[in-house]
Amino acid sequence: MQAVAAFPTEILDSLSSGILALDAERRIVFLNRALARRLRIEREEWMGKPVGALASLVEPHLSSPEALDQYLGPPEDPRARASRELVWQEGEQLIYLREDSAPLRDGAGRVVGRLYAYHDLSREKEIDRMKTEFIAVASHELRTPMTSIKGSIDLLLSGFAGDISAETQELLEIAQKGCERLIRLINDILDLAKIEAGQIKLKLVKTDVAEPVARSIRGVKSFADQNEVTLQLERPESLPLVEVDRDRIEQVVTNLLSNAIKFSPAKGLVRVQITAGDAWVQCSVIDQGCGIPPEELPKVFDKFQQAADSRRKGGTGLGLAIAQALVSEHKGKLWVESRVNEGSRFTFRLPAISGAASAAGSA
Amino acid sequence: MNISTVLLAEDDADIQKLVRMSLCFRGVKEVVIAENGEDCLALVSKVKPDVILLDVMMPRMDGFETCRRLKANPETRSIPVIFLTAKAQQFEVKQGLEVGGLGYLIKPFDSMTLHDEILTLLNKGKSQG
Repeated sequence: MQAVAAFPTEILDSLSSGILALDAERRIVFLNRALARRLRIEREEWMGKPVGALASLVEPHLSSPEALDQYLGPPEDPRARASRELVWQEGEQLIYLREDSAPLRDGAGRVVGRLYAYHDLSREKEIDRMKTEFIAVASHELRTPMTSIKGSIDLLLSGFAGDISAETQELLEIAQKGCERLIRLINDILDLAKIEAGQIKLKLVKTDVAEPVARSIRGVKSFADQNEVTLQLERPESLPLVEVDRDRIEQVVTNLLSNAIKFSPAKGLVRVQITAGDAWVQCSVIDQGCGIPPEELPKVFDKFQQAADSRRKGGTGLGLAIAQALVSEHKGKLWVESRVNEGSRFTFRLPAISGAASAAGSA
Repeated sequence: MNISTVLLAEDDADIQKLVRMSLCFRGVKEVVIAENGEDCLALVSKVKPDVILLDVMMPRMDGFETCRRLKANPETRSIPVIFLTAKAQQFEVKQGLEVGGLGYLIKPFDSMTLHDEILTLLNKGKSQG
């Protein structure tokens, strides 16, 4: 097969990833040195043989016999690229491999076989494990002293230890606020670390997005009242359903609403506008605040990027980064449009489930 | 429902004091302290608490193992166990409920509402039989 004969063997042999090329009948036409080493075979003896003949070599390394098909079976769509994770057992050790595969084409663009690359993910898995451990330790070690500080302040303020002077009360309230802010920061840092490490398991449920949005509005209502800001929800009669983790979408909207309220003038209005297209549903949080200068816009979703005013109002600087990470986890997109002195519009768009819709009032 | 006696398994001295103050302030008669899971198992038959509050990360025996043993023993099986811990990840909460915990409270807890939260969990546990 010409396309395969043109493989630069020396280059492919210098790779640490395994490379395998099969022809249209799934016969081995190329196998690099790294893969031959992993399979403990002399590759020259295997050229032209059907890949299924490797079964007896591959089987001892699999967690279950059913997994054999995963390794040696044909792809679902021979013309598509694919990527998946596989587990390879080497004695007591589990090796995680990422298999990338793509159709092999000849000069005329015809599919003449398939090319596979096997990358060892052990290092990435080890880093993931270290991240998990760090999150667990940081979570525990930070929360324990915070419990003592917050608990003591709360008890003193409650009058548990007797009457306190107005000055003492004021100082304790300052300490309490600082403490609550620190707890929010710890929670946000750990939340973001978990999302980034892929450790958040979304509980996906078919949902009218207006439902978590409405819950979020109820949740921030007292904060809006304190700031004399009115909240308004606008939604169409019927909305396509989305498949989301309701709590996480509520968290996204709450983060956007908290920002919008913080930056709104007194007597201001914050609108939450839900719209939909054929394949998507989107939700915009629109405020009448001071807006964001154009040079600041590219940075608004970065960690610890916050306006001085937001820090003063108790923001952690992570709300938008968390919102963006959560929307991405849902295969959606979050963006911002803003004009100085006119206000900002934060919008997230989620893929809709085709053919499923709900009516207003059901949320 | 009144909570009269609480057995708290917790290795942090400050948190021991805080929980005791916070619960006694709200009318609990006695908070008995166990320094770790082993102590908790040794004390439970003598103390006969209305509820056991269990930290997770403790020396000698952690809270999950302690709860498992409490639930495996016919004499202590019926005593409600509530975790009170800084282990706040989803899989840890799940593990706590799987080993037989009635509830899972995460630190930092609110010392003003701790008593009410425990009571709510106990009432919920009672109504579920």
